[in-house]
Amino acid sequence: MVKKIPIGPFHPILEEPEFFELHVDGENVVDIDMTIGWSHRGIEILSESKTWDQVPFLVERVCGICSCSHPFAYVKAVEDLLQIEVPKRAQYLRVITAELERLHSHLLWTGLAGHFIGYNTVFMWTWKYREPLLDVLEAVTGNRNHYAMMRIGGVRRDIPETQFGLVRGMLDELWKKNDLLTKAIIDDPVIHARTKGVGIFNRDQCRLYGALGPTARAGGYDIDARRDHPIDAYGELDFDVIVCENGDVFDKAVVRQLENFEAIKIIRQCLDKLEELGPIKDDSELCMEIGEVPPGEGIGVYEAPRGEVLHYIRSNGGNMPMRHKIRAPSFNNILTNEASVPGNTVADAGLITAAVDPCYSCTERVGRLDVNSGEKYVLSEGDLIKLSVEKTEEIRRQLEM
Amino acid sequence: MEREEVKKRIAGKFGGKVEIADRSKDRIYIYAENEVWVELASFLFNDLDARFDTGVGVDDRDGVEVMFFFPFDKEHYYVTIKTFAKKPNPELDSISPVIPGAKWIEREIFEMFEVNFRHHPDLRPVLRSDTRPVDFYPHKRENKTKLEMSRNKNDGQERADEVAGRPLKGRNP
Repeated sequence: MVKKIPIGPFHPILEEPEFFELHVDGENVVDIDMTIGWSHRGIEILSESKTWDQVPFLVERVCGICSCSHPFAYVKAVEDLLQIEVPKRAQYLRVITAELERLHSHLLWTGLAGHFIGYNTVFMWTWKYREPLLDVLEAVTGNRNHYAMMRIGGVRRDIPETQFGLVRGMLDELWKKNDLLTKAIIDDPVIHARTKGVGIFNRDQCRLYGALGPTARAGGYDIDARRDHPIDAYGELDFDVIVCENGDVFDKAVVRQLENFEAIKIIRQCLDKLEELGPIKDDSELCMEIGEVPPGEGIGVYEAPRGEVLHYIRSNGGNMPMRHKIRAPSFNNILTNEASVPGNTVADAGLITAAVDPCYSCTERVGRLDVNSGEKYVLSEGDLIKLSVEKTEEIRRQLEM
Repeated sequence: MEREEVKKRIAGKFGGKVEIADRSKDRIYIYAENEVWVELASFLFNDLDARFDTGVGVDDRDGVEVMFFFPFDKEHYYVTIKTFAKKPNPELDSISPVIPGAKWIEREIFEMFEVNFRHHPDLRPVLRSDTRPVDFYPHKRENKTKLEMSRNKNDGQERADEVAGRPLKGRNP
């Protein structure tokens, strides 16, 4: 007999609103029902009452972690409508900011995943390594998040050559730390036992459910908007798309860790290119002059840390978008839980739902329904983490570590 | 698959029921009649091996324009298919039975624009809070106008009540 377990409306690990109802038979999950939209803020409608140039400030606030990805996709949508190409210097500056954001987002997730399986040392160290990165973002953009770099036709400010040393120094250090973390994750037998084979989502399922980003690439679905639909400088940069094949929680972690190295490589190349361009001569190298936005429509896509973010805009020739659609990658990725959670245990359910790195602002309690008795009760954040940590401890004991 | 080949195969299969427009080197728009909507999506996804991305609704005076994006990643371009669900009761066949990844976006378009997707496995609102009235569709043109007209008022609760059509507190009905 199947029981129902309610989880939500806040995600058990990520302190963000989402409600899962797990249908369980004993400890095994047989079905899942998800409710999102708890923090729906009507940003699309708000955007339709802002001028074209005000919208980047608004869409930065769709999500704090992806506060570069959303404005990046938005400005590309408008530039798709206008059919323009922004100045070279602006292209490199955009990519640098976006890749710095990817690094801090992936590190944040690694820390949280460590916390959830009972590796609080990983959590503490990862967040410590992330701090210098946020300091660099603050130094080059003025903010730790909400960088306000993107503008239709270019960027708002330059990164002077005097700051390149600061960025390069941080990247060199981060490369070493990321190497350390990656080896620790890949070599740890407890992490293997705890995450391998858990929440498998294969290539065919990824395609059917429209999975994006690391969630798709972990399952062998080789898509990356930076390579497939290159925008700005991405077309001329050399980087690899990291793809695994099993689609379990372990592979999702590995993909993110290895992508950090690629992000560092991309930023270094952009800094080299900026050095070749030399010091800035005038503001036209940062942003081109944009006149009126004619009637039409445009699609902007960018590979955010969680997957491809898509913005669609339509203009009627006025000074505001007539329609602005925002599709964050988590919208597609959270749906994949429908196929990846059933078949696993309650202790693993929280880990699997967190493995897609969901971002609820762009979407914690767990409901549990026993399908045999019809009994219903709610698991709190503490209960879920306790279940998960107990499972890790049990594996440790079995491995005699 | 190369874009010329895609255009040729779609034109060959659907003939006069679709209209193909080249927007730029990486965007193709296909306007389709309602009756071939699901078949066209299925043809792109299953036969031509396009990826399903997401969908958008746009409210127009006479109906709701619904579009879905199908990128061809290896060839670096997007195909957008569009159709028009006429008012007063906009309806379309759902593509979710063919592409499960479309479930939530169809629910969202239903929730925001009142487009009824026939044969959808679970057509419930996906983002709506419990307190929002059942028959209120925020992106519908009529409701947007109401929202804009009520924007000048200071009281947020009063504004919400008025837009939702609820009796205003402290006032005679």
